[in-house]
Amino acid sequence: MPLAETTLVEAINQGLRRLLRERPEVVLFGEDIGAFGGAFKATLGLQQEFGEARVFDTPICESAIFGAAIGMATQGLRPIVELQFVDFGMTAVHQLLNNAGTMHYRTGVAVPMTVRAPCGGGICGGPFHSEELEAFFCHMPGVKVVYPAFPADARALLVSAALDPNPVIFLENKYLYRHVKEWLPADWEPIPLGVAQVCRPGSDAVVLTYGAMVHEALRAAEQVEQEGAGTVMVLDLRTLKPLDADAVLAAVAATNRVLIVHEGWRTGGFGAELAALVAERAFHLLDAPVVRLTAPDVPVPFAPELERAYRPGADTIHAALLELLDY
Amino acid sequence: MSRKQTKATPPAAARGRPAQAAPPGSALLKCMLLTQLTEERLVRLYHQGRISGGVYISRGQEAIGAATAAAGGPDDLYAPLIRDMSVHIGRGEPVLDIFRHCLGRVTGPMKGRDGNVHYGCLARGVYPMISHLGAMLPVVTGAVMARRRQGRPAVGFAYLGDGATSTGDFHEAVNFAAVFDVPVIFVIENNQFAYSTPITRQFRCRNLADRAVGYGIEGLAADGNEAVDLYRLVRGLVDQLRVRPRPVLLVCDTMRMRGHGAHDDFSYVPRDLLERFTARDPLDLARARLIADGALTAAEVARLEQVCQAEVDAACQQALAEPPPDPATLTEGVYAAG
Repeated sequence: MPLAETTLVEAINQGLRRLLRERPEVVLFGEDIGAFGGAFKATLGLQQEFGEARVFDTPICESAIFGAAIGMATQGLRPIVELQFVDFGMTAVHQLLNNAGTMHYRTGVAVPMTVRAPCGGGICGGPFHSEELEAFFCHMPGVKVVYPAFPADARALLVSAALDPNPVIFLENKYLYRHVKEWLPADWEPIPLGVAQVCRPGSDAVVLTYGAMVHEALRAAEQVEQEGAGTVMVLDLRTLKPLDADAVLAAVAATNRVLIVHEGWRTGGFGAELAALVAERAFHLLDAPVVRLTAPDVPVPFAPELERAYRPGADTIHAALLELLDY
Repeated sequence: MSRKQTKATPPAAARGRPAQAAPPGSALLKCMLLTQLTEERLVRLYHQGRISGGVYISRGQEAIGAATAAAGGPDDLYAPLIRDMSVHIGRGEPVLDIFRHCLGRVTGPMKGRDGNVHYGCLARGVYPMISHLGAMLPVVTGAVMARRRQGRPAVGFAYLGDGATSTGDFHEAVNFAAVFDVPVIFVIENNQFAYSTPITRQFRCRNLADRAVGYGIEGLAADGNEAVDLYRLVRGLVDQLRVRPRPVLLVCDTMRMRGHGAHDDFSYVPRDLLERFTARDPLDLARARLIADGALTAAEVARLEQVCQAEVDAACQQALAEPPPDPATLTEGVYAAG
C-alpha cells in the first residue's frame, strides 16, 4: 500500500473526513472552521466536500457551541466541535462539567459529542494561546480525555472518540500539528480509547508522558542510551481518562524508576495523579522516588527565552533522567 | 417594532384558526391545580423533614408553564427551569414521579441521582435543568436544530427568569438561535425577584422584551398570570414558527408569591407588590374565566379540585413507601457503555 507523508493536523483532517463520509449523523461546527478551514486548517476542505449543513461556522460563543452540541448529541446527532484554542473553552467549561458530564448519570441518556481542542505551548502563543488544561478536564466525572502524540494515533483515536457514546475532550498539541510527520497508509483501523503505547523500550527507567512531551522524551531517552547511562522506556499514555493503569504499572514493574513529564502546571497536574497511582499500587517496585518534570505554576510566558525556561524539553528531561538513573 | 402587547396584537395564526386555538380550559386548570397541590405537599414534607436538601415552588407562576406546555405539539422540546412544575405536568410527567424524584427514590426519573427541581424526561422531550442559569438555553437550541434536521419540525421552549437574562449564556444562546433561525421560544418569567434581588438590580431596559431588538428577533410581552390568553398567544406563535422558523423572546410578567425556597421567608418582598399580584392569582383568574366563559361550572371546578387532591394524596403515599437508591450503585452509569 502506498504511504503518504502526513502531519498531525493532516491526520486530524483525514479522521474528520472519514467520520463525515461514513457517519451521516456527524456534524462539525465551531469558529472559522467552514470555508476558512479553521485557525490551524484542521477542517480544510471539509465544508466544500460535505456542505454547510454538516460543517458550519458559529458566532464566537463557546458556551452556546458546547450547549448546542449537547442538545444535538441527545437528539441523535454526533457533533464534533472545535475550540479555536483550548484556553477559550474555560469560558464555557460549566457546560461540559455540569451538563455533558452529568447527563448519563442523571438520566441514562448518552451524550456522544467530541470537543477538539488545540493546546500546549512552544509557538510563543503567550498566556492565552498556550495553555495545557488536561488536568481540569480529567477532574470531571463523565468526560473522557484523549491526547495523541502521533499522526497515526491522532486520526485513529479521533474516530474512536467521535464514535464513543460519551463526551470526549480530544486534545491536539498545536506544536505537533506540523512538527511531527509519519508515512501513513490511506486505510487504517480505529484505536480503542484507554490504551497506552510503549514507543520506546527500556529497562532502567520509564518516562510516563503524553502529547508533545512524548517527542521530547524520545530525544532525551535516545541521548541517555547513546551516553551509556541506561535504557529508558517511553510510555505514551494516549488516553488520559480512562487511564491505562495496567500499562503504567507494567512499565513501572519493568523499569523500577519513574519520571513523569507534562507541559501543564505542576500543582494538581495530571502528573500528580500518575504519581499517586504509582505510589498506591507500585510502591514496592520503586528503586527511586517518583520524579515529576512539569511546567512551574506560572502563567505561560510569551518571550521565547521565558517560554523555553517554562516548558520541559529534551534537555531538561535528559538531566532529570540522569539524576533518576543515578539515584 | 419588535415588542408587541398580547392584547393589542394577537398573532395572525391565532386569529385565523380559532377552532385549533381554543384553549383546553379544564386541562390548563387541572395542570395548575396539580402543580399547586403537589408543591403544597412537597413543602409540608420538607417541613416534616422527609425531603432532604430543599423545596423550590412556583406559587403564583403556574399559568406560564401550563399554557406553554399545552401550546406545543408532540415533537416539541422543552427545557423548564426552577419554577416550572406545570411544564413537567403539562408535558406528561406523572405527579407520582415528581414525588418519587423529590423524595430521592430509586423509582424516580433521576433514580435519586438528582433532586428537587432537576428532573425531566428526554423520551418526552423535556430536558432536566442544571442549576447554572442560562445553561439550558443553548442545549434546547441545539436539540431543536437536530430534530429539524431529521425532518421533525420541532419548536423549542426554553425557560428562564429575569435573573438569568443577566448571564452570558442567555446572550450566547439567543444570538446563536437568531443567527441560525432556530425556532425557540425563550420564555422569560419575570417574577420580579431573583432570590432576594429585585429586577431593578437585574436590568435597565423598560421591558425585557426590548432586548429582542438587539438580536434582530421578535419580542413579546404578555401577562403571565392569564393562562387562557397566554395559551392562545403561544399556540398561535408556535404555528407561525413551524412555518417560518425563528427564535422569539416571550416575556411573561408574573410574581413569585413565596420565597426562593421553602427555607426562605421572603421578608424582602414589599407587601404591596404581593397584594397586587394576590389579586391576580393565576388559579383564581383561570377559575373565574372558565366559569364566566361557560367552559366549566363552579361544581365542576370543585370536583376537579377533589380529583387533583386525591391524585396528589395517592402519589405521595405511594412514593413515600418506595425504596431509596442502593448505595452500592453509587458509581454506576457515569459513562454510557458502548
